[in-house]
Amino acid sequence: MKWTIAALAGCSAAIATMFVAAAQDWQAAPPSAPEARLNNRSAAFLATVERRPDRELYARGRLIAMGGGGQGATGSTCFVCHGPNGGGDSTGAFPRLAELPGWYMYKQLGDYAEGTRPNAIMTPIAKALTAEEREAVSVYFALSGAPGRNQMPQPPADPRRLQWGAALVAVGSAERAIPACVNCHGSGSEGIPPSVPGLAGQNPTYIATQLTLWKTGMRKNDPMNVMGAIAVKMTDEDIQAVADYLGRLPWSSPVSEGVPPTGVPRAQVR
Amino acid sequence: MAIRLPRTDVVIVGGGWTGLTAAYELAHAGRRCVVLERGQFRHTVPDLQSPAMHDELKYALRYALMMDTARNTLTFRNRPEEIALPMRRLGSFLPGEGLGGAGVHWNGQLWRPLPSDLRIRSHYTDKYGAAFIPEELSIQDWGVTYEELEPHFDFFEKICGTAGKAGNLRGQKQEGGNPFEGQRSDEYPNEPMKQPLATTLFGEAAAREGFNPFPMPSANVTKTYTNPYGAVLHPCTYCGYCERFGCGYYAKADPIICVYDRLKGHENFTLRTQSTVMRVNKAPDGKSATGVTYIGDDGREYEQPADMVLLCAYGLWNVHLLLLSGLGQPYDPATNEGVVGRNYAYQTMASTRVFFNGKHRFNPFMGAGALGMVADDFNGDNFDHASLDFVGGGYIAVTQTNGRPVETTPIPSNTPTWGAAFKNAAREHYNSTLTITMHGSSMTRRANYLDLDPTYTDDLGRPLLRLTFDFPDNDRRMSRHVTAQALRIGRAMGGSLVEQSERASDPYSIVPYQTTHNTGGAVIGTDPKTSAVNRFGQLWDQHNVFVFGACLFPQNIGYNPTGSVMGLAYWTLAAIKSQYLANPRPLMGGSP
Ligand SMILES: Cc1cc2nc3c(=O)[nH]c(=O)nc-3n(C[C@H](O)[C@H](O)[C@H](O)COP(=O)(O)OP(=O)(O)OC[C@H]3O[C@@H](n4cnc5c(N)ncnc54)[C@H](O)[C@@H]3O)c2cc1C
Ligand code: HEC
Ligand code: HEC
Repeated sequence: MKWTIAALAGCSAAIATMFVAAAQDWQAAPPSAPEARLNNRSAAFLATVERRPDRELYARGRLIAMGGGGQGATGSTCFVCHGPNGGGDSTGAFPRLAELPGWYMYKQLGDYAEGTRPNAIMTPIAKALTAEEREAVSVYFALSGAPGRNQMPQPPADPRRLQWGAALVAVGSAERAIPACVNCHGSGSEGIPPSVPGLAGQNPTYIATQLTLWKTGMRKNDPMNVMGAIAVKMTDEDIQAVADYLGRLPWSSPVSEGVPPTGVPRAQVR
Repeated sequence: MAIRLPRTDVVIVGGGWTGLTAAYELAHAGRRCVVLERGQFRHTVPDLQSPAMHDELKYALRYALMMDTARNTLTFRNRPEEIALPMRRLGSFLPGEGLGGAGVHWNGQLWRPLPSDLRIRSHYTDKYGAAFIPEELSIQDWGVTYEELEPHFDFFEKICGTAGKAGNLRGQKQEGGNPFEGQRSDEYPNEPMKQPLATTLFGEAAAREGFNPFPMPSANVTKTYTNPYGAVLHPCTYCGYCERFGCGYYAKADPIICVYDRLKGHENFTLRTQSTVMRVNKAPDGKSATGVTYIGDDGREYEQPADMVLLCAYGLWNVHLLLLSGLGQPYDPATNEGVVGRNYAYQTMASTRVFFNGKHRFNPFMGAGALGMVADDFNGDNFDHASLDFVGGGYIAVTQTNGRPVETTPIPSNTPTWGAAFKNAAREHYNSTLTITMHGSSMTRRANYLDLDPTYTDDLGRPLLRLTFDFPDNDRRMSRHVTAQALRIGRAMGGSLVEQSERASDPYSIVPYQTTHNTGGAVIGTDPKTSAVNRFGQLWDQHNVFVFGACLFPQNIGYNPTGSVMGLAYWTLAAIKSQYLANPRPLMGGSP
């Protein structure tokens, strides 16, 4: 396989990537999905924390996610709670991690460790990871494709509440001076890397919990407190409404698969 | 026949910063206020929300939030001998229309004047002798002092949640602020914005060259903040869509979120949109106004009787209404008599581009309207003019307002404007070029004025306002001098190429955008021969008409106008509340 040949020849991962991309032969089996995403410019942008992610960083992240990393304090894998592939868990307590922007996730792990986002479960886990390990595991989850929609069973929701949630997300509220969530979270609530997480298809219970934590001042890790300013203007009904609506929104990936792989020389502009 | 409406206490023409603020203050003083706004009702939610708002073509290039020149415009010429032609597209300035007025699509660079700006003729005469002031200039003192306006500047800065650093707090110089500013009674309500690389490099180079750089005072708010009216503003996200756009984030102070939202529903407040005021009506004896006539949203003509009329329609259109209504004597440049239309001025802008050819990555898309560093060393009379041949000055700044794709193509002037070379240059320079702006004062002279056009009319059949303007030589000399200082800083920044890319054109052109800082035409003062209103903004002959806006400026300062406009507005409102309401009459000297 070309991967192995390139690696054996002693090329760096980056050169290997270029080599494979340039010599792509459609007969050969494509690399596994998340790894292939290393070559996708938009996926790499989503995943980048401090430096351009490469295979090594990705592999290290996968190891940590599987429990093989430095998180001795917990001894368990992230998947136990965050679901297979980081897709979330049906209890609603454990958010989806797949395709969260790498930088956002890295920052959250730091915030858990430092206590600006205190949480009995995540704080010890985050503390057990070094900064490099946090970066690696964030890159790993950012590159993992998320399931197409929130596959957890959803209890029926009041249609009028869903409609109000949709209005708040897309338009906001003039009465309560709440800006539309899509202002910052993207037109499909898919998130805007590097710093704004996607909300579409995230678990409703988790979303409602986070908004309440902001409202009560428990979560105070947003550097400019934009979410705190918004959450205090929301009633409990508003919070439930956006959570119900966002949870049912199909997950639209912030990664565009159509983007040509990096490494192909940029066409000269004519 | 106009439909006569029930009488109100106060009728206010225009729903921008000045009009809504006047309505807020007088409604709370127990007076019934009717605001007539010619444009549409609009609100932060839903009309200003992104991603829809982040449409550069629609809002920045096609001016979706601004005045529709097919219906309202003015005619323009450079010199009195020429025939003026209508401005059929917006260009040099971008007046507002709709609730919030131009305050919706402004940048939020929030300045006060220098104390010496307000007594310019006395100041230059005292310091350099009467002969120093070039003969062509008709500049004059404001008749109101910095000390009198200071509490009102301070209050408006609090209304906007202004982010900045004081340089002179109650007479004590403050590290990191503007060392030249007048005394402030209080620090800015919020901390300055976070400075990006480009403005930081500018600040460092300016300091090395002996200037005193400081962060630009900004109405793009830096933390969650509640203003004195109770409006909650949110922190700015540096999205780069301020000027020409409305802010959907509740982060750029505008009249809708800062004033209207806290006024709506008040029993003394009525807003009528799509209501164009045709004229102010005079009492038979000519000694007062009886109200206004307007065309309502149903296309019918209404008369709104009122005890007081406040002109808050924007400087240019206030002058237009005065001329249309026969209020005050129109200015005649031939005889140099009359006051309405006299002393129009503008803003003398220049800029210098510094190219770094990839050496730095500025990420210009990360911006805000008033994000920048400023050196005020060559503004006003902050530098010695004795050996110089001009009055005035300007501030030198690097702002990072946006990196929007259509408008942001900084390329060296010798690059072709199309084809491969253009595209490669655009790519090479986009992320590593900055612009140093010179934002200069504008002095007045006899030949620059406003009157009614003899030929062209608007959609309602009224003569258009006619603007006659060219930059006085004084201002060109000023611009050359201050721009030379900007070039000095530019070179000290170590760019690979420093280029003078724009300057007050000769003659002034109304086509390229410069600023929406049109001043004068109904100036404030203490002498009825040279001012349209007294020092409280009150017409000399019709005591129940008050004028607001930059038309009051006797000449233009080196700063953006709105801080001064609103300082004057609160000053006038204080005088109305404390002196006029209880006893309506022409107000004499003294302070409110
Ligand atoms: C692109 C841009 C950027 C700017 N940036 C800055 C800045 O950074 N700093 C700064 O200090 N200033 C800035 N300004 C200037 C600032 O916006 C104005 O000084 C301020 O908004 C003026 O307020 P106003 O109430 O006098 O007028 P406006 O805000 O123009 O309000 C007047 C209102 O009256 C209405 N009206 C007019 N005629 C009639 C009529 N006959 N009948 C009924 N209604 C009428 C208009 O539709 C309008 O809504 C900027 C302006 C623009 C356009
Ligand atoms: C024992 C269960 C458990 C394990 C194991 C676990 N998590 Fe979590 N995680 C949670 C819970 C519960 C939350 C929600 C906490 C809150 O409300 O802030 C969470 C939240 C997070 C978040 C915040 C997501 C967001 O959208 O802001 C991140 C990031 C995260 N976990 C990463 C990890 C990583 C990486 C691992 C493995 C190293 C891991 N977690 C292991 C329970 C777990
Ligand atoms: C001004 C921009 C802005 C707006 C408007 C905005 N958000 Fe956010 N939001 C953010 C940012 C930035 C974060 C990440 C904060 C951090 O770093 O912890 C965030 C995070 C969140 C999170 C946490 C997600 C997670 O994975 O933990 C939720 C939930 C959320 N926002 C909901 C909303 C809702 C609902 C609205 C509309 C009512 C909204 N936001 C409007 C900027 C915004």
